[in-house]
Amino acid sequence: MEENKFDHDKSSYERPNFPYKCGRGAMWRTPCFKGPKIDGSCGGTQDCEPFFKEGRWSCRRAKEFGGSCNEGPGPNGECSWQRPPCAPKKTLRSIRGQISFLTVATIIALLAGSLALNPEGRGLVSVSDAGPLSRSHEKFTETKGCSSCHSAHAQGPVAWIKAVFSQEDISVGCANCHSFSGSGSISHNNKDLIKDREVRKIECVICHREHNGERMNNLKLTGEQCNTCHKNKFDSFSKGHPEFPEKYPYFNRNSLKFDHSSHLNKHFENPKFSDKGPKSCMGCHQVTLSDREVRPQAFEMICVECHGSQIKKKELVLLRLPEFMQNYIDGDSLIQACNAPAQDKTEEEFLSVSTEIPALVSSFLLNVPEDDPETYEKPMQELILAMAEESILPVEDLLNSQTENPLADKLLLGMNPEVLKRAACSWGLNLEYEPPAEAKFGGWYADMLEVRYKPIGHRDPVAKSWVEFALAVSTAQDDEDKATRAIAMRDEVISDKEGVGGCVKCHAINETITKEGKKELEVEWKYKNVNNRPHSQYSHSSHIEIMGNNNSCSNCHILNSQADYMASFKSFDGTEWSSNFESIEKKTCMQCHVKSKINQDCQTCHVYHLNPRFKKKMFAVKKQIPEIQK
Amino acid sequence: MRRIFGYISLAFIFFILISVWTLKIDNSLGYSEFVSGGALFFIISFLFLFNIRKRLPFLPLWPAHKWFLLHTIMGFLALLLFWLHAGSLWPKGLYVQILASLFYLTTLSGIVGLIMEKIYPNLLTRIGLECIYERIPHDIAKIRKKSEKLILECTEKTGSDTLAKHYLETLGWFFQRPRFFINNIFGGRDSHNWIIQQCAILERFLNEAEREYMKQIFTLAEIKIKIDHHYSLQTMLKNWLLIHIPLAAAAMVMAVWHLIVIQVYFN
Repeated sequence: MEENKFDHDKSSYERPNFPYKCGRGAMWRTPCFKGPKIDGSCGGTQDCEPFFKEGRWSCRRAKEFGGSCNEGPGPNGECSWQRPPCAPKKTLRSIRGQISFLTVATIIALLAGSLALNPEGRGLVSVSDAGPLSRSHEKFTETKGCSSCHSAHAQGPVAWIKAVFSQEDISVGCANCHSFSGSGSISHNNKDLIKDREVRKIECVICHREHNGERMNNLKLTGEQCNTCHKNKFDSFSKGHPEFPEKYPYFNRNSLKFDHSSHLNKHFENPKFSDKGPKSCMGCHQVTLSDREVRPQAFEMICVECHGSQIKKKELVLLRLPEFMQNYIDGDSLIQACNAPAQDKTEEEFLSVSTEIPALVSSFLLNVPEDDPETYEKPMQELILAMAEESILPVEDLLNSQTENPLADKLLLGMNPEVLKRAACSWGLNLEYEPPAEAKFGGWYADMLEVRYKPIGHRDPVAKSWVEFALAVSTAQDDEDKATRAIAMRDEVISDKEGVGGCVKCHAINETITKEGKKELEVEWKYKNVNNRPHSQYSHSSHIEIMGNNNSCSNCHILNSQADYMASFKSFDGTEWSSNFESIEKKTCMQCHVKSKINQDCQTCHVYHLNPRFKKKMFAVKKQIPEIQK
Repeated sequence: MRRIFGYISLAFIFFILISVWTLKIDNSLGYSEFVSGGALFFIISFLFLFNIRKRLPFLPLWPAHKWFLLHTIMGFLALLLFWLHAGSLWPKGLYVQILASLFYLTTLSGIVGLIMEKIYPNLLTRIGLECIYERIPHDIAKIRKKSEKLILECTEKTGSDTLAKHYLETLGWFFQRPRFFINNIFGGRDSHNWIIQQCAILERFLNEAEREYMKQIFTLAEIKIKIDHHYSLQTMLKNWLLIHIPLAAAAMVMAVWHLIVIQVYFN
């Protein structure tokens, strides 16, 4: 190779950045010296060009291509030394540009084509598909597709441009199916937690990110993420978590009065009952069904042996023939009503067969003082006559007039009108009623001077209704005297010892406030899951599984023998109470929940949402009407 | 070397900063994808600028070798940022998968190109000859012309056509155009062996004068071998960009599409 081949007269200047080069080089022949021209052409096939010098034409070429040509121009003026044509040939750079352009154009065409042919973005080829949804969301979006959440989807370019310049809250769509006890855009869906605080607006997508496939792997929050909003920041449960509050976790009074101290330390120790008592906590509590709470078994399973017979002994006195000073009953009407033989009208001094006072129930119903015969005798005798004439109806009317909703049907369920009429007839004639037989099996019956109700057993509907009635009327009286009588009646009905069925011996009564702001008393008939800390969770079953059945309960629940448990139930305020157990302290949990042992993430014990659930429509089954073949 | 290490350190620090930032955003329940995605788009745009810079050689915008160095480092940084942004090696969703495929292919072609850029210049230097790629056809034509001239001269002066026949049957093929392309890419010596073999076969049939011409032909063939090596290696050095740049352009288009989709669907 020549050393000076790069000189201007040795070789042409290479311009690889030009779009074309003129080339025989592509055929591995001597490359073209000229071109390309502005129009891209390379200019002829001649190697030598005619040149006029000193009155003579000759052919010549550039020095680097051989210098002067031996042969001159032909008759037509062209030099005869010809080479293959110098065709313009794309440079590598130009080819690269073309390939790039084609690739970009292909991609754009594919995107545009996909959008045009498949605007809904359904099927396999979707150029806006950000990834598969979780299984549940995929199911619920199969009808509307992406539009279920993204309003701009398949709405055309104008909607797309609008969407770019406007903010869209994707979380709005979530509320179509998911609901909570509070607003979805409030932290923890709980406005009580954010009182007097400035908190950010919450969007579901902050935590729940979709398009990650079948598994939605962002249901977990880290401690750091919780710390974002919480002012009280700490590293972990064992490091920085506040101590549990006093009374934890026994904040609310039990729905059932069960004094663990007296039962465990006194009754079950008593040789009389020890064989009936449970051998361990599991004897009463259903470990197999445990979760947040370990529910006790039913009354019939665990209480009935000792307490079953007590229920039937506690009767309700609806009516009692009281002592009367004078007889105001119209004898003719009574004889007619009772179809009794006519009596001689002698002017004897009236001497009441009864020396009792009226029952508190009847005294309340008639709103008469039970200790003043002069006041109560007239209305009481009118009631007796009315009962003799119409049996149960006047009592029904009296009961129904006490409450907004008529309750007599429930309160007098199973009452035999004949019995009531006969008792009224006897009492009207100033006689004791003599029942044909003893009331053995429970229910309504009349006996001598009283109409009584004997509960059949646990969950007796009439007894329950009377307790509820007594509580309802005790808080609904405007008249002071009547209110006093209502309270007296209530106290008798809910009395541990004398109250009907002794229901309230075990079932707690709570005072609640209605929406109208009225105070009401409510019996806790059922064992209640205490869920007044909806953002906390605890699974007894998993803890019992790890610690075993024998000592797992007493490891955390330590009996407090000093606590006056039963005194807590004397008032109707469910918040003021002393538990049978010592408060559980943080250190108890830290026996296991420490860095080196068991998970101590926030979500182990805390739940973000407030009562998360699905909307009812999610469970609605669409009626499939078969098409009728015509 | 110190400078390269400095650039790598800077890139690594940049990545660490972005990672920490995204982690912080994640922990504060924010959208870290916007930060990692923004950083990635910035880096990809910078990578793209290299191609534009090459089209503007007259501007004093840093020497190309520095751009190349930064392009390489930023390329690896972009790969790390891509993984950080996607949260996985292989994202879900068709269009993002197309984008990922293009990105990975671009990266892969870039890595192959980088390897060639690091190995081939040494190999080219070792050849012991300098060639301008665009002039290789010219050089080959010249060598061919010289060899043909020698063959003609040999036939004329020695009166023997042994060498000429042999040239037409074998060596002519070799001088026609670059040969042994694949072997040359991997630094092989097939062309050299082939020439030696062809000359050795013929040598015993030649007289003294013809052998002199044969030696000259052999010398030209050796130069041709070197040019062929140049051709093969330079072709690879130039042509890998035929894959890398279109792929990068396509990836950029998909990245812009991704931006549009995000703005429309997740604003």
